[in-house]
Amino acid sequence: MYGWIWRHLPGNAWVRALISLVLVLAVVFVLFQYVFPWAEPLLPFNDVTVDEGSGATP
Amino acid sequence: MRSRWAPPRDRARPDAVLRLAVRTVSEVCLTAGTLIVLFVAYVLLWTGVKADRAAEGEMARLRDSWAATAPQAAPAAAPEAATAPQPAASAAPEEPRHPAGRAFAEMYVPRFGPDWVRPVLEGTDPELLKKGLGHYAATARLGAVGNFSVAGHRRTYGDPFKDFPKLRRGDEVILKGAGTWYTYTIRGGPLRTLPTDVGVVDPVPRKSPFTAPGRYLTLTTCDPEWGHSHRLVVWAELTGTRSAGQGGPEGSSR
Repeated sequence: MYGWIWRHLPGNAWVRALISLVLVLAVVFVLFQYVFPWAEPLLPFNDVTVDEGSGATP
Repeated sequence: MRSRWAPPRDRARPDAVLRLAVRTVSEVCLTAGTLIVLFVAYVLLWTGVKADRAAEGEMARLRDSWAATAPQAAPAAAPEAATAPQPAASAAPEEPRHPAGRAFAEMYVPRFGPDWVRPVLEGTDPELLKKGLGHYAATARLGAVGNFSVAGHRRTYGDPFKDFPKLRRGDEVILKGAGTWYTYTIRGGPLRTLPTDVGVVDPVPRKSPFTAPGRYLTLTTCDPEWGHSHRLVVWAELTGTRSAGQGGPEGSSR
């Protein structure tokens, strides 16, 4: 997978390394901005209120 | 080295297939491990950074709105100051109802440290609890007769109620509304109870030491620290109010 990406990047080794770094940062940004905020409520740390177990206010 | 490995399919040997399989599995494992580490960093650190930023924004907005309404609030608060030492009196100040999602008070808990301050927002939606503490919208208003109930995160999102089990009887919970400081003194808890135990936020909270109607405060958070099987609850009683012009009580330097 990573080898395939590397082979398909243009330029010499330095340019490829730079593009790889940008790609990694883009992936981390997408994870922190969109993926993790979606996944985090699935963990139990949000349940701090008392309720009737309806899940309306976990 | 990987870039040089591209044998034509007709010449592929069994060991090459094996190498491809091992490499793919390794890459998947490395990727999964990195994802997990990043997610843990997000939950432990980044949610705290986000929550602190959001809480500061909420408090800045709150102080701006107080500053904007202060000229009208000040004369109204002055006569109340004279009756301030009698918190149970019917003339004691109360906060009005607030629109959902709006921060309307600051909470100080000296037991959690001199720098501990959090905004209290109207509502207990999980989105709101990411910005500060949440007031159960169905419970009493701040300072009013009834049970002013507030929920907060024990862990993640800035860990506001991390030291919740350290609260003891006699500890103060200080809230600052638009023109008034409210001092509540803890009378019961921390009690470990079930999430379905909604009686703890009743106007006269069940399982609490209170038996008659009064001006109460209830704080709830989750227990165990990283779990959600139980809730921790403390109850407090309004023991003093003073107008903002008189300065904050002890333990609330700001």
